[in-house]
Amino acid sequence: MVIESPLLAFLIVAFAVAGSMLVGAKLLRVRAKHSSPLKPTTYECGESPAGPAWVRFHARYYVVALFFVVFDIEAAFLFPWALVVREAGTAGLVAVFSFVAVLMVGWLWAVKKGALRWQ
Amino acid sequence: MSAWLHLFTLELAVVAIALLVLLWDAFAPAAGRAVGWTTALLLGGVFAASFFVDGRGTVPHGVFVRDEWVVFHERLFLAAGILGVLGSIDWLATRTPKRQAEYYALLLFSLAGMMLLAGARDWILLVTCFELMSMPLYVLCAYGKQDGPASEPKLAAEAGLKLFITGAASSGLTLFGLALVVGMTGTTHVGGIGANPAPLTIVGMLFVLAGFGFKVGAVPFHMWVPDTYQGAPTPFVAFLSVAPKAAGLATLAIVLLGGWSADSSVWLPVLLVLAGASMVVGNLFALPQTDARRLLGFSGVAQIGYALLALGAMSRGGLAMTLFFVATYVFTNLGVFFVLHAAAEEGGGHSLARIAGLSRRSPWLGGALLVFLLSLAGIPFVAGFWAKLFVFMEAWNAGLVGLVVLGVALAVIGLYYYLTVARSTYMADGDRTTPVPTGFALRAAILVCLIFVVGLGLWPRPLVEAADRAAAGIVSGR
Repeated sequence: MVIESPLLAFLIVAFAVAGSMLVGAKLLRVRAKHSSPLKPTTYECGESPAGPAWVRFHARYYVVALFFVVFDIEAAFLFPWALVVREAGTAGLVAVFSFVAVLMVGWLWAVKKGALRWQ
Repeated sequence: MSAWLHLFTLELAVVAIALLVLLWDAFAPAAGRAVGWTTALLLGGVFAASFFVDGRGTVPHGVFVRDEWVVFHERLFLAAGILGVLGSIDWLATRTPKRQAEYYALLLFSLAGMMLLAGARDWILLVTCFELMSMPLYVLCAYGKQDGPASEPKLAAEAGLKLFITGAASSGLTLFGLALVVGMTGTTHVGGIGANPAPLTIVGMLFVLAGFGFKVGAVPFHMWVPDTYQGAPTPFVAFLSVAPKAAGLATLAIVLLGGWSADSSVWLPVLLVLAGASMVVGNLFALPQTDARRLLGFSGVAQIGYALLALGAMSRGGLAMTLFFVATYVFTNLGVFFVLHAAAEEGGGHSLARIAGLSRRSPWLGGALLVFLLSLAGIPFVAGFWAKLFVFMEAWNAGLVGLVVLGVALAVIGLYYYLTVARSTYMADGDRTTPVPTGFALRAAILVCLIFVVGLGLWPRPLVEAADRAAAGIVSGR
């Protein structure tokens, strides 16, 4: 049988994969008895859970994550440019460096405002 | 590259001002009003430059088109930006003197996004500009996070969160819809929607419309409007209530009238339902409000309904009158919010009881508020009258008789609640008698709004003609 519509094929594969995962988990899982103390605990990849799940993370990690995004986006644009650096020529060089300069202004502002201070 | 970079002179200037503000704040933080005034004056310079820079043209592949339509919107957004900055200067300098620069920088980035948006003819650029406009607004909304009344100290944070979540959800809807549309049509050009009128394209476009509906706050996507208006800092709400709405309507015009006019039988009923529902829900829900900002939130929903009605006329004249309506709405609503802000700044919040007796305490403020309210209601000889009249005329000519009758009937209801506000400023007695203290910048902003509202009421012709020229960029012919 040849499936004509790629959308239909996609749907069939999607349902097959998701369904087989659910059914497989149902068949292969390790069953704990109802009375077992393991039954109500959090599932942490087979390890016995340590500490409560509602751990508070320091808000500073959020700032670090934002810094990461700044450089992540920068890299996402620098790599494609690096591949075509010869073809892009001077215009490409100017464009990329203006982009980096704008990013650096934001980075500089955040550093000056004490975003990297850890007290 | 340099062949078309001059098309973005004004946008680049706005971004440069934002970077300047950030660098200034990083190296020589100033606590006074200097940053605000510099921003306002530089933006004024950009506005003036818009009359001398002749950058008309098209970026390769038609990604960005700069014509009269873009010029009109650039000037409109710049005017709203200047007034938004002016209205915030005093508030920022007294409340948060240490972190003013971020407010101005974010507002400027948002402004740059709006200005680019009007010329975008490519889905990727369009969505990117839309996000550039929206993201800073989420932050600005929660800017006064420690600035609520004692009973509801987290109101600003709530406002910011609501705008952010509805905004993020609507962006998700738009992007999902666009994935379908671009997948079906095989082009990212906005003009290519009609290339493949398959059911899936139409489903995708309905998602896109729902996403934009959230942004302009049309019923049934209006839930965030009153809550956000109530909680966010008032000078910012003044800006939020006009400029992004104008940008959202511009996007709708670009997409529907510009890109998808071939299949208007599909989207016109949807647009008209949105317009009618916005007029009904906005006007009726504004009636019982006791907080002035919630009332203006629902009034804003209603006004969007009128603007969508003119858009639904699907003619060059209808689009021109949408622009005229939005332009008058920008000045009127900025003015109303600035007066309310002035009255609320001395403490006591934004309840309608707060402005009782305002005209006796500060006759100028009271008079300005009356003029703005009359303009919102659509009383002759102020700008809002022509706006409503032209919108209804264009819709009538397009055969939307039922909706025009509905709109006129609801405008009478609107008259009632706008005049209730005006009555309390003139007839009721407040508990204070001293004049309301207002800063110079805020007074200047209110005065400019007043000049435009009265001036356009007496002499609307220049703006009508400018709007008509601008509309020709999207809809050709008559």
